[in-house]
Amino acid sequence: MQRYVFSRIGQALLVLWLAFTVSFVLLQALPGDAVLIKFLSPELGLSPAQIAEIQAAYGSDTPVILQYFAAIANFVTGNFGYSVHAGVPVSQLLAANLPQTLRLATLGLTLALAIAVALAFLSTLTRFAFLRNALQALPALFISVPTFWLGIMLIQVFSFRLRLIPVINPSELQGLILPTITLAIPISAPLAQILMRNIDAALTQSYVEVARAKGASPAFVLWHHVARNAVLPTLTIAGILLGELLAGAVVTETVFGLNGIGGLTEQAVRSQDTAVLQAIVVLSAVVFVIANLVVDLLYPLFDPRLRTRQEVLA
Amino acid sequence: MVLTMERCVATASSLASSAGNERIFILLTRRVIVRPARSALALAALLFLSAPAFAQDTPVAGGTLIYLEQQAHTILYPPAGGFYPNGGVLNQITDKLTWQNPETLAIEPWIAESWEVNADATEYTFKIRPGVTFSDGTPLDAAAVAANYDTFGLGNKDLKQPVSEVLNNYERSEVIDPLTVKFFFKAPSPGFLQGTSVIGSGLVAASTLALPLDQLGDATKIIGSGPFVVTSEVIGRELNLTARADYDWAAPGFEHQGRAHLDAIKYLITPEDSVRIGGLLAGQADVIRQVQAYDEPQVEAAGFQIFAPPTRGVNNSVVFRPDNPLVADVRVRQALLHATNAAEIVATLFSENYPQASSIIASTALGYVDLSDKLTFDPALSAKLFDEAGWTIGPNGLRQKDGVELILSAYESLPQPQNKETLQLVAQQWLQIGVKLEVLAGDSGSRTVDDLDPLKTPVSPAMVGRADVDVIKSQYYPKNRDVLRQLGGGSDKVKSFVDDKLNGLLEALTSEPDTAKRLAIAGEVQAYVLDQAYAIPIFEEPQAFAAAPYVHGLAFEAVGRPRFYDVWVAR
Amino acid sequence: MTTIEPTLSLNTHQAARPRGHAQFRRIVRRVQPGLLLSIAVIAIVVLWAIAPGVFATQNPVLGVPVDKLQPPSALHLLGTDALGRDLFARIVHGAVHSLTGAFVAVGVGLVVGTALGVIAGSSRGFVEAAIMRLADVLLSIPALLLMLSIIILLGFGTVNAAIAVGATSIASFARLARSEVVRVRRSDYVEAAFGSGGTFAGVLWRHVLPNSLTSVIAFAALQFGSAILAISTLGFLGYGAPPPTPEWGLLIAEGRNYISTAWWLTTAPGIVVVIVVLAANRISQGLGGHGR
Repeated sequence: MQRYVFSRIGQALLVLWLAFTVSFVLLQALPGDAVLIKFLSPELGLSPAQIAEIQAAYGSDTPVILQYFAAIANFVTGNFGYSVHAGVPVSQLLAANLPQTLRLATLGLTLALAIAVALAFLSTLTRFAFLRNALQALPALFISVPTFWLGIMLIQVFSFRLRLIPVINPSELQGLILPTITLAIPISAPLAQILMRNIDAALTQSYVEVARAKGASPAFVLWHHVARNAVLPTLTIAGILLGELLAGAVVTETVFGLNGIGGLTEQAVRSQDTAVLQAIVVLSAVVFVIANLVVDLLYPLFDPRLRTRQEVLA
Repeated sequence: MVLTMERCVATASSLASSAGNERIFILLTRRVIVRPARSALALAALLFLSAPAFAQDTPVAGGTLIYLEQQAHTILYPPAGGFYPNGGVLNQITDKLTWQNPETLAIEPWIAESWEVNADATEYTFKIRPGVTFSDGTPLDAAAVAANYDTFGLGNKDLKQPVSEVLNNYERSEVIDPLTVKFFFKAPSPGFLQGTSVIGSGLVAASTLALPLDQLGDATKIIGSGPFVVTSEVIGRELNLTARADYDWAAPGFEHQGRAHLDAIKYLITPEDSVRIGGLLAGQADVIRQVQAYDEPQVEAAGFQIFAPPTRGVNNSVVFRPDNPLVADVRVRQALLHATNAAEIVATLFSENYPQASSIIASTALGYVDLSDKLTFDPALSAKLFDEAGWTIGPNGLRQKDGVELILSAYESLPQPQNKETLQLVAQQWLQIGVKLEVLAGDSGSRTVDDLDPLKTPVSPAMVGRADVDVIKSQYYPKNRDVLRQLGGGSDKVKSFVDDKLNGLLEALTSEPDTAKRLAIAGEVQAYVLDQAYAIPIFEEPQAFAAAPYVHGLAFEAVGRPRFYDVWVAR
Repeated sequence: MTTIEPTLSLNTHQAARPRGHAQFRRIVRRVQPGLLLSIAVIAIVVLWAIAPGVFATQNPVLGVPVDKLQPPSALHLLGTDALGRDLFARIVHGAVHSLTGAFVAVGVGLVVGTALGVIAGSSRGFVEAAIMRLADVLLSIPALLLMLSIIILLGFGTVNAAIAVGATSIASFARLARSEVVRVRRSDYVEAAFGSGGTFAGVLWRHVLPNSLTSVIAFAALQFGSAILAISTLGFLGYGAPPPTPEWGLLIAEGRNYISTAWWLTTAPGIVVVIVVLAANRISQGLGGHGR
């Protein structure tokens, strides 16, 4: 077991380093650079000679391999560097954006889980076939609508027509309502689908048949026998989706004018702000690697039946 | 079309009724549209006479203005204030030596009480107003002004600060006494006085000048002497400005003196067009920037105000890169000019706030000459010119010569209003005479790199705003923006194209001290650029703002950046 | 983009389900009207892509400027855009772009991902570890960053955007395919096939692949809908195909600015995408053979 733990940690570090290197190469390959993009913009009115001066001052002519080692050394010592585009240290940008994104993503995921559980349980318990069909069709509808379209429609209806919730300069609580819904609806769809299928599968298990035969009501069976087994895999998926939410929030952030990591990523790609992007990659890789490590190491402890999971998810 | 209008009216009345009686009353008051008129004077009359129409009441002090901006600012180094989001911030937090009256375009005193210029425009002496301080408490005196202009005029290599594009031939400064400063120029610099009034010449404290350029993105570090101070910033999303209680050095020409009426301004970056417009009409915001022409009817129908101050510079145009062999022949460029129907573009995509261009610079710009007879839409002439140049219609409908088809390409310019649609319409018009224009889409990196290469971008959209004839040089001179991509300019991809006659005219334009002669040269340049068909001007670009009916006193500097100093709100 | 992992864990549980029962239910579902309708929808859209001129006679690229921003009418079924182009014609002519985009996106993920997954699942040791660590690297770089960088490198356009979208699903396909191969490999009949002297490649081809690919294919159908949406989101972020390409996602994204003045511009292509994605989802369920 101990050897397994060390090997997993070693692999995690390897993934981290590879992610850093792959993204570094990728970003170097992009045409132009941050200085050109920021300062050659015609609105700034700088002449070509001035741009050349700025470029020289930034030392963009250093050999790429040296830049790579310098970047690695910086990251190892916790120095995230400087954002050319925003003109502030990267750590300051992360501090301004990360908490917002974490809050929105956590709220969105929680609401998505709530919607998924509600849909799955209601559709299992309802006696009316038409209602069951309608509830079961909802997840498919939820994932067929573009997120930005959903956000814009929610704003148009709830903020501009009905005037229930302001989107411009709202209070902290008000400002979270519509973005959370926008983020949660598409995420709830796959969760609801898995939950429905797992409940479906669990209902055919023998111990459920036994419980039913003993005269338990459908609701009792659902809560006491089926839910526990169906929710575990759903939670696992939810954990994986959380990572995706962090970057996936870009659309929600743009539509609602919120700050966050998604928007920061998009802006940094647009302006090829390499230092910011490397920091985001390292951050996201650390989250991914740790989450996987924790899940892999803890999963067998919780569910002895799934000792083989390491193989399945490797 | 009828249906659309009905919808707008229905929307407007439902908005009004839900907002109560007060707004219905406001709906009845006259709306203000400011539209660039044929002459600067007529425009000024519209702009400044209509503002008092709202000022029936005495100004109300206090309140926070919510301002929705489309893009975040980039760097607040004053010479970079040309970018509208930058200028929109700098215009509130910095003062300038002089003020250009948008009515008369005359230069009036501000931080400089008076000035003297020698005969050949190589020496300028300014008397500084006493008692002016920066928001950090340091005095704005002759030494501070000298330090600012030394930086803007010469740049600072160590701090990566570049030279301002509005300062030509700058040599050095000299502090005569604490309130007198003198500037020396290597060659005549007649545009300098106007240059002291522009957004790029905002005065900042020594602590700001000491920062390297890359740290000037942090708005809280920009210390000016203006009526507002940046108090907090959420990078890329939000900016909070508060009024300076001790501000008492407004330009004598402003509507009021003393501190600003408002207590605070909140800038919120709201990139979505529909959210900015909707937020304004739903009463969640007070002023917004960048209103598209197709949204104007619903804003007006709701009784809100539209402001479209002109930018008074080089018109929204497409320019050619003659280094590319496809457009090297002047007849080809002329043919494309006559194949472009600017009237159709304006009628289809824009409104009366976007007048059709009649020269390469706006009719509200200094030195404007009406050259509309050179800008006729004439497909027959166009076809004749193509035939003369040897480009004949091939089997697939496209013109070709020596087996090469006439296929051009251009990137859309994101900051220009509806540029993607404009270029598509141009493409559609050119296709009628057998020329294909491909509208490219690309990321900022590819766009920036490709834009330097005439082979990749033979055509490019371009515009620049500034209320001085120097603006023509800014646009075309190889050492400035170099829109034509000349040899010896900023691009190492250019093989041979250089126009010495044009460059000579541009140099003469910026160094001719005699005003009458300068304006004559300006007219000559306009005619020359159109005769060579280097550019196809399309429309005179305004900056479009919209404001709630209760916002009063919104003013603009000569090139359309908002000034919130005189603004007051009576909700 | 968000429907990536579900089937993965699902199948490890589903393995316990009685097969005969599932077969029976699958046959019942085959004749369901919903599925037939979904197939009809996809068929129509494919016909749009093959012969757009039959369905829409107006020019999708060249507009009539004076007819700009017309609401839906008998002449213009879905109205016109700011340049006076018929929106219905643009949607019909856009089918080929959107379908190509979705197919390429799914194809890239399916082919590359499945190949990697099958190789990893059928070999052990170093090769497997290397491939799965590669998948980890792909998953740990934010999908958005990966997509945008790839588009920038390849240039803007529907197919390139699709490749970028597909690249982000390679890791998911690889993980899914590998877990399926591992599951099938351990089943009794594959053991038996090995036991009765089958070669490795032979058993892989005849027994492992056909049985592992069912859920991979179902997942691919599901991804088909997600890919259309992902391409649309790229259009929203400004990474769409160059004009005048009438790709659906781009139509929705560009029409959104007119939401309060010309609602049809974003609503009509939006509804078309919803219908097509719903249909693709329904077919995916039919293929996967699980669900209700």
